[in-house]
Amino acid sequence: MKALVPLAAILGVAGLAYAGGLLPGTRALLGVVLPYAAMGIFLIGFSFRVVRWAWSALPFHIPTTCGQQKSLGWIRSNPIENPNHKAGVAARMALEILLFRSLFRNSQARLEEEGPRLLYAENKWLWLGALAFHWSLLVVLVRHLRYFLSPVPAFLPALDAVDGFLQIGAPQLFVTDAVIVAALLYLLARRFANGRVRYLSLPGDFFALFLLLGIAITGILMRYFTKVDLEGIKQLALGLVTFSPLVPASVGPLFFVHLTFASLLLAYFPFSKLMHMGGIFLSPTRNLANDSRARRHVNPWDYPVKVHTYQEWEEEFHDKIASAGLPLEKERTRA
Amino acid sequence: MPETATRPEELVRISYDPPPGDWRGSPVEFRKGTFCHAAGAKSVRYLELPNPRDWQPTDQDWKLPPNWKEIILAGMKERLERFRSFRLFMDICVRCGACADKCHFYLGSADPKNMPVLRAELIRSVYRRYFTTAGKVFRSLAGARDLTEDVLKEWFYYFYQCTECRRCSVFCPFGIDTAEITMMVRELLNLVGVNTNWVLEPAANCYRTGNHLGIQPHGFKDSIDFAVDDLEDLTGVRVEAPINRKGAEILFVVPSADYFATPHYYTLLGYLALFHEIGLDYTFSAYASEGGNFGLFSSHEMMKRLNAKIYAEAKRLGVKWVLGGECGHMWRVIHQYMDTLNGPADFLEEPVSPVTGTRFENARSTKMVHICEFTADLIHAHKLKLDSRRNDHWTVTYHDSCNPARAMGLLEEPRYILRRVANRFHEMPENTIREQTFCCGSGAGLGSDENIEMRLRGGLPRANAVKYVRDKYGVNLLTCICAIDKATLPTALAYWAPGVEVGGVHELVGNALVMKGEKERTTDLRGQPLGQGAEAIHA
Amino acid sequence: MAGISPARKHAMAERWLALAVQTYPVPSRRFLVDQRDPFRNPAGQALRKRIPELVEELFGEMDAGKVGAALEDLMRLRAVQRFSAREAVGFLFGLKTILREESAADWETLARWEERVDELALAAFDLFMRFREQIYQIQADEARRRVAQLERMYSREG
Repeated sequence: MKALVPLAAILGVAGLAYAGGLLPGTRALLGVVLPYAAMGIFLIGFSFRVVRWAWSALPFHIPTTCGQQKSLGWIRSNPIENPNHKAGVAARMALEILLFRSLFRNSQARLEEEGPRLLYAENKWLWLGALAFHWSLLVVLVRHLRYFLSPVPAFLPALDAVDGFLQIGAPQLFVTDAVIVAALLYLLARRFANGRVRYLSLPGDFFALFLLLGIAITGILMRYFTKVDLEGIKQLALGLVTFSPLVPASVGPLFFVHLTFASLLLAYFPFSKLMHMGGIFLSPTRNLANDSRARRHVNPWDYPVKVHTYQEWEEEFHDKIASAGLPLEKERTRA
Repeated sequence: MPETATRPEELVRISYDPPPGDWRGSPVEFRKGTFCHAAGAKSVRYLELPNPRDWQPTDQDWKLPPNWKEIILAGMKERLERFRSFRLFMDICVRCGACADKCHFYLGSADPKNMPVLRAELIRSVYRRYFTTAGKVFRSLAGARDLTEDVLKEWFYYFYQCTECRRCSVFCPFGIDTAEITMMVRELLNLVGVNTNWVLEPAANCYRTGNHLGIQPHGFKDSIDFAVDDLEDLTGVRVEAPINRKGAEILFVVPSADYFATPHYYTLLGYLALFHEIGLDYTFSAYASEGGNFGLFSSHEMMKRLNAKIYAEAKRLGVKWVLGGECGHMWRVIHQYMDTLNGPADFLEEPVSPVTGTRFENARSTKMVHICEFTADLIHAHKLKLDSRRNDHWTVTYHDSCNPARAMGLLEEPRYILRRVANRFHEMPENTIREQTFCCGSGAGLGSDENIEMRLRGGLPRANAVKYVRDKYGVNLLTCICAIDKATLPTALAYWAPGVEVGGVHELVGNALVMKGEKERTTDLRGQPLGQGAEAIHA
Repeated sequence: MAGISPARKHAMAERWLALAVQTYPVPSRRFLVDQRDPFRNPAGQALRKRIPELVEELFGEMDAGKVGAALEDLMRLRAVQRFSAREAVGFLFGLKTILREESAADWETLARWEERVDELALAAFDLFMRFREQIYQIQADEARRRVAQLERMYSREG
């Protein structure tokens, strides 16, 4: 059920978009109105979510430390896993964001069947799958810039050349196209096959995966398997970014499925877990230096609380303090 | 927790089918041994917290205030604005499952709701329902659910099965920290008077008398004097242990268990011997006679109320800086919260070791130094005469206590000390120590008698690694720097890895420390005869 | 009893393991069986290590020490895992079905093996009860340690 409803939704959207791409009346709706609306929702929604996080206070200094602290000079501290400076924090965040450091920490010990030697195997599939997906997505997105920029900047053909280094087929196979589909399929398969992960998955988890797969597959179909009018698509894309939208008649329905999926992703983004893209930068267990004893952190909403003062304490236990021979602030004359 | 009685003939293959329905359905069942008793009305009243009454989790009616739901939701709204961590951690989890097998309670119980991600989903689902557009519109399709009394009971059950150890947050790609979520839920539960006695009674005692057990000033004085007598019997040296002495250079704060519980007490003896030997100008305080802070386990406000005593007392006594003993969550509070809660401590000076002259720059604002930092510096500067052979009857391993490891990074200081006071030291496997250390299973206020079964489940992963070094190297002493560890690991080890004792780092320092004018030591600080010593091992 | 090949024993142990794991919540079963890191999966690995040992002994010497050690590990685990005595020990009887299906032994041999299974189960039941009692004992010990020094102090004064 958790996967069926999202799958049905995605297939339904695909059907509608394909049909809409065939009908003259709806082509402008899907090719112009929908992308603008989706981009609007994305920009406003994304900013809203990030601003709301930023407006939530940061009352305490709570980094998770994953290495030796900086204390005594002769003890080697770990400036990245337990940074005590902004530079270390920047390095730590870069490792998290670019290389998914924490996901990499999944070491796994194994005893050799005979004898007590301890082996450490690596259990890095999740890390590899996630990294492959995210990096491919980034490259694919950058490659798409050539539809939105005219003239095409010089680095894009270079990127294409690198991405197509395998030089297989015509049009040339982009490695990232294959990798992104493989990675998404792995992430999806994992949600089905691993009992724990299936149990904790929500429909939204499947929805995001199906949607991304839908985008990737339609894109691949257009590039490698069906003839699409790239010039027409570029005109459409350029029209969108220059605010002079047009929908060339030569653009086929499959493109509208691709575009609708992409729009749906943009519009869905701010309402979903995909916001982790923005959130990772703000995570207080990662983006703070472990210097809370060296520099005072101020809580913006701090308020006075009721405490049990020394004076009240001495008052209550006066005689016992006196009989124990401990010093008193206020000698009390006994009656 | 089997779903049905096992009928072997049907069950020859493992079924991986998902359980009927999803996890949002079934209400929890409070079975003896797996939950803590409710807080007594007396403690709740003394601390002036809401809804004092007599009740137990097993009661059908928890006697919640009639508007409990509004209180909880208003409390959530307020905390979403006050804690970026809370709002962020509600929003950005992708349910990748990397944390799932990192929780000691999950590993010991196999209960899926003990996977950190699912523990968090218990409140995330409610957050979505009332605070997100998607959840309000799509309800269960968006992973949202209504807040009901069953949900509240489930919160109580599972958020008192989290020891706030932060191990999951080490592995989370976004650093989502279940400890933070647990703290929020416990705050919310406190708003409607749902709390546990094991947390609130010590908190009330600490608030009133200065320490968890409610020992009054003369009792505190007696126990310190008693320790001084014991130390004299053991070493032949009479030490001073001043209390509430104005004008001392250093205020020394320890968890109260150090002076009334075993094996903590031997660590206290170690401190006393050490301070005497280096001629430290220090004082205890009977008013601030507790370093532990059970406020961390109930609410940020309670944490502040209890923690206030340390700076207040440091100011009153006119000390220059504060030294803190071996304790886990106490050090989370001191390292990450104290300065913010009750600082700035501008009436104190930047800590400088009076013996070595080392400036503790890492503590220059909070002005409080960890005893392991202090002692490691002494040893490094060759200020102590140590005879490590006096610990030869111990084969030692070191358990990183959660908070000093993951909320501070105090990893090498205790190891440095141990390697110089003991000859036989062996680490546990690497994915069970340092930042990956396993919790004792009884932290964050779960260490009660009645919760024993749950604690033993939670203690299994730690004890299992101890068992490994026991069998491989003959380890017979687990050292640690946490009072809760010292109270509860002996229990967990007695069950899972019998034959391994628990002690403090400064207990071994005390054993090894050669004191001026001491008599020949025939026993360790426990009064156990010293072993023959294994000469071959000295290198 | 020389007729049981290692492969057959292995197959029986696997099926028996499956039975034991069946008593845990569904989402956790695969993890318990598949995660081979003994430190990351202490409960599952105890099952994986001890069950083949029991199978070995069942067809072998029934060495009291080895059987006891294996059963102890299993029952120590199950005594704190929310099982009733029946649930904790029950999976052992499943071995009878497995024996009947996996071996071509004659009736007499089967009966002898089944007796051994009964023996195992009874021993396991004893151990389960022993660990349940131990839980109360260590609980009491802990409570005593918690105030041990205060008690010493007051008793010396008194």
